[in-house]
Amino acid sequence: MEKHLLEVKGVDVLYGDIQVIWGLSIHVDEGTIVALVGANGAGKTTLLKTISGIIHASSGEILFSGKSLAKLRPQEVVERGVSHVPEGRRLFSGLTVLENLKLGAYPPRARGLFDTSLERAYSLFPVLKDRKDQKAGSLSGGEQQMLAIARALMAQPALLMLDEPSLGLSPILVRTIFDLINTLNTQKVTILLVEQNIHQALKIAHQAYVLKTGKIAMNGSGEELLADPEVQKAYIGERWGKR
Amino acid sequence: MWKYITFEIFIQLLVSGILFGTMYGIAAIGLSLIFGTMRIIFFAQGAVIVFFAYICYWLFTLLGIDPYLSLLLIIPMSLLLGIAFYYGLFKAAAALEDRVSSLLIAVGLIFLLENLMTVLWTADPRSIVTAYTSYVLRPIGINMPFTRLMALVIAVLSTAGVILFLKKTLIGTAVRAASEDIVSTALMGINPNWVNAIAFAIGIGLTGIAGVTLATVYSFDPVYGFIFALKAMIALALGGFGNVVGALLGGILLGLIESLGSFFVGAGWNEAIAFLVFLLVLSFKPQGLFGRSVEKG
Repeated sequence: MEKHLLEVKGVDVLYGDIQVIWGLSIHVDEGTIVALVGANGAGKTTLLKTISGIIHASSGEILFSGKSLAKLRPQEVVERGVSHVPEGRRLFSGLTVLENLKLGAYPPRARGLFDTSLERAYSLFPVLKDRKDQKAGSLSGGEQQMLAIARALMAQPALLMLDEPSLGLSPILVRTIFDLINTLNTQKVTILLVEQNIHQALKIAHQAYVLKTGKIAMNGSGEELLADPEVQKAYIGERWGKR
Repeated sequence: MWKYITFEIFIQLLVSGILFGTMYGIAAIGLSLIFGTMRIIFFAQGAVIVFFAYICYWLFTLLGIDPYLSLLLIIPMSLLLGIAFYYGLFKAAAALEDRVSSLLIAVGLIFLLENLMTVLWTADPRSIVTAYTSYVLRPIGINMPFTRLMALVIAVLSTAGVILFLKKTLIGTAVRAASEDIVSTALMGINPNWVNAIAFAIGIGLTGIAGVTLATVYSFDPVYGFIFALKAMIALALGGFGNVVGALLGGILLGLIESLGSFFVGAGWNEAIAFLVFLLVLSFKPQGLFGRSVEKG
């Protein structure tokens, strides 16, 4: 059997007494884009937070390159090569663009590669170079999302986890962000993507999981799920129908 | 009162207010940094300032070390004490984001220090008398006590030092980032404990500096610190939380208010005026006069 880059096995997560993730298992293979889709409150964000160590699973195992992440704290997970772009970006808005990028390269593993990483960030997002001395809070929504992704890339991650990168962006910017995810993927960055924009996410995903109330409801390749009548009806059709 | 005021007296009041206020200012910067990452007001700060004033007193009386020279010992000592305070007392509460416990620990620390100091140095007021204690400079007819002028110089230098540290070093940048969003800094690979410890180190480092300037300017006793910490908190509220220069300016402003207030209203009203200003600022401009607002509480 092929070795997975990330393997989540039978994870339970509780907020106090309320269980939000039930025995969930997923895996992410190296070099792929994996999408996690599902309604609000399905546990997608919670799963990302559990992987990055912001919260901890009460049982189950999380393996990255064969080593356990389950007990690690966020700063240790980053050091292992998993970067998390959280929901709402959580930039340091009072700091400049460049300062945000510098902090992105804080892990000792990434610090020596700062110049190369910065060059890559500026070539992916030329606008950030123009605005490097501007406060992050003064950027537009799209630029902020770009900075959030660029900041995560500064840590030279092997796995990049993106939580709702298209949230609140105009349709053109949504396209730009999805194109970017594809570009990053061709540059050998493995991507775990949480999205409400299910149609777009399934289109670019090699593998996808549909979450429902903390469990996997369905999984398959992006194309399969996109064509699945049930997915169409439950998530995509309904969304399109409403508009 | 009004008939006695002359231009010289007015200038004199301004100058002594500014020189007085700088000590509130450096104390307020320390409070601001600790508040930034931990989101608590470190009430024990005044007690720690007095503690270092006593250390300075000891170094002077027992070993004959000049108070200003003793900064070379007291600054490293206070930085280390800050780190020790964090890891020894506050780390567990910080991990649970338990601010009530952190506050209680700080209050407990006040009682511990005050009583420790009473045992070690008795409750009698102490002061340091050096050759230059009563030396007064008189440029353009204004009285400027040398020790207060030194307090101003030291306050400005330490403010500049803190700003340089926060702006020019990576860990300093991390401290600023953590005061915006400490979870997000952890996602950058930054250990939140280390950032908190650094904030504590600088905050307590500044109490060491404030302690030395206090010891050279005033006489002090073990319980002098509490009211001082409250004044530093007022200075911080005036300047705005999370703003280093604002905290220093807030301190200077409070010094001016007290200096003018004690002349025009009476020295007994000093505290009342300070707290009145505090209430007015919190009611009408809670983000402070020079500050940005704090979004996350």
